[in-house]
Amino acid sequence: MRPHPVLALVAANLRRHSRDRVGLFFIVVMPFVSIIFVGMALGGGAAAARLPVGVVAQESDPVAAAVLAELRAHPDLEIKTVGGEEELRAGVRGGALAAGVVIPPGSTRFELVMTQSSGSGMAARSAVDASVGRVAGVIEATRAATSAGASPAHAAELVRRAQAASADVEVVGSDTASATPRGFAYTAPANLLLFTFINSMAVAAALVESRRIGMLPRAFTAPVRRGAVLFGEALSRFLVAAAQAVLIMVVSSLLFGVSWGEPFGVAAVVGVFALVATGAAILMGSLVRSSAQPSAIGPPLGIVLGMLGGCLWPAEAAGPTLDTIGHLFPHAWGMDALLTLSRPGTGLGDVLLEVAVLGLMAAVLLSLSLVLFSRRTRTL
Amino acid sequence: MTDTLTCANLSKSYGGVVAVRDVGFTIAPGEAYGLLGPNGAGKTTTISMLVGLLKPDTGTVVVGGADLSADPMAAKAKIGYVPQEIALYPDLTGRENLRFFCRLFGLPRKAVRARVEEVLDLVGLADRADAKLDTYSGGMKRRINIGAALLHRPELLILDEPTVGVDPQSRKSILDGLERLVADGMALLYTSHYMEEVERVCDRIAIVDHGSIVAEGTRHELVALVGGADRIELTLDGDVDTALAKLRGLGGVTEAVRTAAGSVRLIAEGGRYLLPSVISTVDGIAAVTAVEVVEPDLEATFLHLTGNTLRD
Repeated sequence: MRPHPVLALVAANLRRHSRDRVGLFFIVVMPFVSIIFVGMALGGGAAAARLPVGVVAQESDPVAAAVLAELRAHPDLEIKTVGGEEELRAGVRGGALAAGVVIPPGSTRFELVMTQSSGSGMAARSAVDASVGRVAGVIEATRAATSAGASPAHAAELVRRAQAASADVEVVGSDTASATPRGFAYTAPANLLLFTFINSMAVAAALVESRRIGMLPRAFTAPVRRGAVLFGEALSRFLVAAAQAVLIMVVSSLLFGVSWGEPFGVAAVVGVFALVATGAAILMGSLVRSSAQPSAIGPPLGIVLGMLGGCLWPAEAAGPTLDTIGHLFPHAWGMDALLTLSRPGTGLGDVLLEVAVLGLMAAVLLSLSLVLFSRRTRTL
Repeated sequence: MTDTLTCANLSKSYGGVVAVRDVGFTIAPGEAYGLLGPNGAGKTTTISMLVGLLKPDTGTVVVGGADLSADPMAAKAKIGYVPQEIALYPDLTGRENLRFFCRLFGLPRKAVRARVEEVLDLVGLADRADAKLDTYSGGMKRRINIGAALLHRPELLILDEPTVGVDPQSRKSILDGLERLVADGMALLYTSHYMEEVERVCDRIAIVDHGSIVAEGTRHELVALVGGADRIELTLDGDVDTALAKLRGLGGVTEAVRTAAGSVRLIAEGGRYLLPSVISTVDGIAAVTAVEVVEPDLEATFLHLTGNTLRD
């Protein structure tokens, strides 16, 4: 039986990568260090753990009592009564509290305390806004009834009836955005994209080395089609990217309980993203001259794209302008897709746009990079 | 007997600049053919076309009866190519590198192990086969570089400067090995800047310059091209112009030129026997402060044909 040259190239390349101890550290260890530490900073849990929100309020105040009742009833929040504002701010700063609410006695103006870059703070803010909104609705309705001539007792009765009537309303559909997942549920997909891309760029060093030492031109002198050699090189890089992604998915599922969602959808997203990373790696391997350059350029580039794509912090913390810029690059589309799939009841059909965009990016990058790579290896 | 390599009318231009012009030669089985030329003469472009890396603008390459352009897979399977660089994976062992090339050249899986061992023995590296290549010495790397081209038993071995940077022992080992391969019937195309290597290994030599073959033949035929005359280098102190005029009239001197302020070069048959006459001719006109007689060799022929001008 004659071995296929593509398999020979893939086997040689994978053997080389398996002997690169620094590269292995970045593939096997570093992603999980990042997932654990950033995950803990963003709220720890893998799924819908309740967000700790501190409250400074006097429960004797009727408005404060109503708001507290709503906050305590919220399924995503764990309300902790705090002694004073200083303690509350210290708790938010230190990360013990996702956010804090200060309700001055006799006032309807509340103060929300949170850090701008905290994903869990953003999620807590959404929940607090919803709870406060419900109390504000009751107060406004009562005020309107009183202005229309109803006695306070009558006004309260009218509002109670309105609330009761609203319970009869059947919601047939909703289009509200779910809050961004927290903890490992966020950092696992973020680091999957981040490290799949960064490590793909770093392994481009081996490609540059093969080119530089004349290994690839020599391979072209064998009775092997040029396309087979190029395909072998591309497949080697794709397998490294895919292995990185699968490793992060398996370990984060087993150790951190991360739920990735519907398998076909996840496989499609991760597959096309690995192709994007492969195209970027071959492009890097074609453009640079020294094998030290991919290791120097790849990680910073990957981190910048990760920042823009929401891999280092939730996209809502970055604002709409950065979010728009981020969607010029693959990471943002990958994050959108993986976060969508992590929500129950979603599947491949919900991320078709993201998969299509990533597929287009992969096609452009792979075509461009393979043409350049072929030209760079044409002569001795 | 059918030639192992026949190339004819090979030409290649890059944007109007001619790199190779109408190059053609043949190599018979068991024949070693040398390609000599200064840097930029067109040797690498010619080799690139012979191994199928570059498509020639014109011309044909036939290896072992297979036309490279019509049936590249069959032609390439008959060629073993040894590049000037150590084109092997430095982070794999010698054995792993050889196995890789066995698979690349499509050797049957069952034959790989035995053939790798044979080649390791052939290049004298069986005891270092499981060490990574980046721990090899320069000479060992050169030998395994050649070994990788021998795995599929090629009919034609093309070597581009295979002994650059190796110690004399490794060079001798490599050249001895190549001579054995040629004796066993393999055809060899050899390029080197070391004239003595080419003189030792090659049966026929082509001198390439400015993209064309300017001379071709055996060593003796090439040396005869410059007349088989000796070169006499004189350093004079005195009236050099008058001395030069007198020397031009001396019997046996076919050429006399001034090469520097006090230096004169004579081309003469039997130069060493003419030396007393040369000295007596300039006696009283200029004092001979230094003299060197250089007998004709391949290097002299090479320099005569390609000139002394430095090349990049």
